[in-house]
Amino acid sequence: MNPAFQAMLTIGFGVGGCLLYFYSSNIFLDKVLYPATGPHAGRNINRANQIRPWLFLMPALVALGLYLAYPVFATAWLSLTQDAPGNTRVFVGFANYAQMMTEDKFWESVRNNMLWLVVVPAASTAFGLLAAQLTDRIGWGNIAKSLIFMPMAISFVGVSVIWKLVYDTRDEAVAQIGALNAIWLKFDGGIWSVLFVKVVPGLALLAFVAALVWVAWGLIRDLRKGGFWGLALRGLGLAVLAWLIWSSVSGLWGLVSAVPPYGVAQTWLTLPFYNNFFLMAVLVWIQTGFAMVILSAALRGVPEDTIEAAIIDGANPFQIFFKIKVPQIMGTIVVVWTTITIVVLKVFDIVLAMTNGQWQTQVLANYMYDKLFRANDWGVGSASAMVIMLLVTPILVWNVYNVRKEMR
Amino acid sequence: MDNIAGTKSPLTWAVHISVVVLVLMWVLPTFGLLVSSFRTGDQIVSSGWWQALTTQEQQLSPIRIAGEAVAKDGAFVIEGRLFAGTGTVLSRWGTSSIEPVAYEAGQVADLGEGVALTVAADGAYALTSAASLEGVRLPRVFATAATPPEFTTKNYDTVLFSPLAGQTVFQAFMNTATVAIPATIIPILIAAFAAYALAWMEFPGRALLVAFVVGLLVVPLQLALIPLLQFHNWIGIGKGYLGIWLAHTGFGLPLAIYLLRNYMVGLPRDIIENARVDGATDFQIFTKIILPLSFPALASFAIFQFLWTWNDLLVALVFLGTGNDQQVLTGNLVNLMGSRGGDWEILSASAFVSIAVPLAVFFSLQRFLVRGLLAGSVK
Amino acid sequence: MKTRLIVSTGVLALIAGGAFAQDLKFPVGEGAFNWDSYKAFDDATNLEGTEISMFGPWRGEDQVLVESMLAYFTAASGVKVNYSSSENYEQQIVIDTQAGSPPDVAILPQPGLIADLASKGFITPLGAATETWLKENYAAGESWVSLGTYMGADGAAALYAFPYKIDVKSLVWYSPDNFTDAGYTVPETMEDLKALSDQIVADGGTPWCIGLGSGGATGWPATDWVEDMMLRTQPADVYDQWVKHEIAFNDPAVVAAIDEFGAFAKNDKYVAGGTAAVASTDFRDSPKGLFTSPPQCYMHKQASFIPSFFPEGTELGTDADFFYFPAYAGKDLGKPVLGAGTLAFITKDGPGAQAFIAWLQTPIAHEIWMAQSGFLTPLKSANGDLYANAALKKQGEILTNATTFRFDGSDLMPGAVGAGTFWTGMVDYVSGKTAQEVADTIEQSWPK
Repeated sequence: MNPAFQAMLTIGFGVGGCLLYFYSSNIFLDKVLYPATGPHAGRNINRANQIRPWLFLMPALVALGLYLAYPVFATAWLSLTQDAPGNTRVFVGFANYAQMMTEDKFWESVRNNMLWLVVVPAASTAFGLLAAQLTDRIGWGNIAKSLIFMPMAISFVGVSVIWKLVYDTRDEAVAQIGALNAIWLKFDGGIWSVLFVKVVPGLALLAFVAALVWVAWGLIRDLRKGGFWGLALRGLGLAVLAWLIWSSVSGLWGLVSAVPPYGVAQTWLTLPFYNNFFLMAVLVWIQTGFAMVILSAALRGVPEDTIEAAIIDGANPFQIFFKIKVPQIMGTIVVVWTTITIVVLKVFDIVLAMTNGQWQTQVLANYMYDKLFRANDWGVGSASAMVIMLLVTPILVWNVYNVRKEMR
Repeated sequence: MDNIAGTKSPLTWAVHISVVVLVLMWVLPTFGLLVSSFRTGDQIVSSGWWQALTTQEQQLSPIRIAGEAVAKDGAFVIEGRLFAGTGTVLSRWGTSSIEPVAYEAGQVADLGEGVALTVAADGAYALTSAASLEGVRLPRVFATAATPPEFTTKNYDTVLFSPLAGQTVFQAFMNTATVAIPATIIPILIAAFAAYALAWMEFPGRALLVAFVVGLLVVPLQLALIPLLQFHNWIGIGKGYLGIWLAHTGFGLPLAIYLLRNYMVGLPRDIIENARVDGATDFQIFTKIILPLSFPALASFAIFQFLWTWNDLLVALVFLGTGNDQQVLTGNLVNLMGSRGGDWEILSASAFVSIAVPLAVFFSLQRFLVRGLLAGSVK
Repeated sequence: MKTRLIVSTGVLALIAGGAFAQDLKFPVGEGAFNWDSYKAFDDATNLEGTEISMFGPWRGEDQVLVESMLAYFTAASGVKVNYSSSENYEQQIVIDTQAGSPPDVAILPQPGLIADLASKGFITPLGAATETWLKENYAAGESWVSLGTYMGADGAAALYAFPYKIDVKSLVWYSPDNFTDAGYTVPETMEDLKALSDQIVADGGTPWCIGLGSGGATGWPATDWVEDMMLRTQPADVYDQWVKHEIAFNDPAVVAAIDEFGAFAKNDKYVAGGTAAVASTDFRDSPKGLFTSPPQCYMHKQASFIPSFFPEGTELGTDADFFYFPAYAGKDLGKPVLGAGTLAFITKDGPGAQAFIAWLQTPIAHEIWMAQSGFLTPLKSANGDLYANAALKKQGEILTNATTFRFDGSDLMPGAVGAGTFWTGMVDYVSGKTAQEVADTIEQSWPK
């Protein structure tokens, strides 16, 4: 059967079937099973209302259970077994996990993933929010939004070439094809170099430290709220912030004291530690579009009256933004942050194509891919997949907390 | 942030400038790719894309003299042009890799054994030889020249019309659309119902179910492939369009439910309460009130799901098949790169060919991403 | 409007479509091909109406070439072949075989992966008759048989894969004109090669372009260097022991071979861009340094496929040429040649698949591709004059005259090493670690 025709049939059947299912099951529930008439009307209505959510949820739960939950169990089983001759597997308990934890590359991946998880969702959400707010009321806002969204629409092969043309390194004697090196080689130690290589990054880093201190102050002030969990999470947050502030300050010191290698083309992706940020820049570049689209819709939903009232009260635009708009879209910010965090946990093609995890850039998803399809070790590969899935637990907890808060 | 008084504040200028900066930061890398898609592969690896926009003075790669020897004035002469286009101005040239700038434009060089060569500033060369040039290896010319910007549409030609892709681009577009459209529409409907239940219906375990859905977002795709393909083979649908639609539906549901639920939770409680008071069933509330009001969320999810299925290759290869006639657009593009890849110019052009449709979808769905509909409906 | 759009695209879709059919490239009966073998196969095989699916690593231009060969197979046997390929073919074949929807025939360049599939019982053995045929008809037949022999699920060793298309790796590419300009001659011994490199440095140039970058496979060109060095510093059976893990990876012989590679790659003056650029330069970009002005380098060691990455218009023989990567005159180890290639195996048994393996045993199956480009074969009965150009003929002679021929070691080693730690270890080595450290890490990662 011609595929296009098949597609149209499927859409028709799919949509029609869905609607038919929901309609008929609701009718069945309300008219046949628990009719809202007769002596047991009240009890029937209650029973119907108890069952109805599950009717609405059932197709989704079936699809999710089959296509996503079943593989999770298959993965868990694989992680507890090892290859045996003749295409069978033998149960080995936690041996795969033990082996995985002896590998340096695994711990390097965990550390790098932590770094990615701290930087990328925050940066994407921040830029997305900024872009959404700024493009909100200006005439060419739609065009600006489309241009910022474009990286999401480019397929991954295009993205890898784009960034190759940014990070590429050639010998200084020949023409550079990487934009970053072309800019770098223009610096020669003079006044402009000091300005752009030391002063501007230094100021940006100071601003970043100031923002971190402000957030930390907010956390300290509210430390007592929220009971035990509030204290624990805020404490964890403070620890992370303390580490970030410490590394930023020492980075600042390094920036001031170091003598940059002017005139030498840098292999950006091999610089230890900083290469992670160059890789992260690619993902932030892509995900900002996602954050922007979702946050833009949410910002537009903030009721005009609250904003007008604030303007009348004399609030300036920054106060309006931070004190009125942001709290009202906090739910959406959680959603965006969560989704990008999960994308970060799964990202592997950026790392695979640009460094293959070399030069200390390995991440868990690439480590898993390597074990699965290069080493053909499905035991350890599945074990690392289980670790990835476990790492999402804090986000899950945060979401449950948020949902419970909404329900109140 | 329009102020009520009506004058343009300096803040507006600050906003415009910041948006320009932001857009430039995001667009410049892609612009580099756009420029590269109009250059040949050799050009891309030898100079930066920003250099292609202006006239550049550089030492060109050696060009070998070629042509038929013509008998002229008792000597054998080969004449020709070094450069295909006009506008290139040669300043110095040479015949040896050790001395590439030995001669000036127009100078006559004596290459020994009665052979003389001259190259003019516009690249016209004349090689004169007393003896026959049959079977003699012709010399190379190393030119230092200022080349004007030179672009070609050959890459787009290759991407759109080359038979090496395995099938026509049109066929690939059709295949990809056949995969993407059902895979976008079907999850929306299933997810909308589930999202409504999770947003507005009270039942025990609601928060945990939300967490379950979020948790499923993180399942790595690679681990689902083999179990699910085994399952498809077991129930008999094997590899094909039905399989890939089901797979994409399954993989896209968590994000759909999550986004839609979040949006539905933000809808005003009063509308739903009033409708309930008026006697509407949940099903009626859902189809007549919630669904129309949720268009922005439906539109934004549709954009992302369409994007993901359009640009996907792995799920297509596994569930649809690797044969040429089932190939999706990304498969076409991978084929064009040959067995070892590395054709940066083809990659650039193909990235823009494949971006056309998702961007069009984004533009057309943009108008739904406004929530102004809601403002009046409460009153 | 939306429905109209859907309907119109639907109509267009029904009209569109169309495959690119292949006609026979060389008319039957003309030219120096072995048409007798073609006719004999034609008469013996009649499977009209059968269809087989084939999975291979060739895409783009290579796909056109393999399909031109398959057209003859279809014409002679009546079997229709649906050839397809994929970028991550290792991933694809593992998924397809495990999930139960394998192709009928697969052709892949990684014996280690094929051995893995054989041990899981996914491949059909080719039988003793094919084994004997290989021994008798391929130059150095024994080594080709052992290349395709693996342990099956039943614990017995049998021939599972048929070697078909070979690449020679021990080649150094150069620009003859650049050599003439500078007054260099092609070195015949390794000692001369090193002396030439020093000479180039003394003259102010850079002798070598080395690039290891390859996305997810970064590091593999260095493994070719180390394997070639291993063959030139140790007897061939030590190489075999190394590949089979009968000697440890951090055996002094192996560490010495890695250091031999380092003598070239870790010498800042020897390599274009310096040692720092070696690991980050893409292997497809690095040969272009031979043709720039001034030349970024004078020599580039790479396998026979690399001309497709030379600048457009480069003529083999005039603008670019190759010489055999020489062996040490001082050590008495002959002229070893390193190569790689693809092997065909049956993943779903059937008459069509069996017919294809029989087809590969006819000279005509090799000659069709030989006459077009980029194909080398050790089949003795294939007509060597049919090679498409002089370069291929030269490579073919290197192949048939090799005193020792060995297959690429990293393709033979288990995936965790050969497609994993060996690659990443080489990148670490070039980025600063010592050969001993790197060899120790790789030895530790060898699957127990």
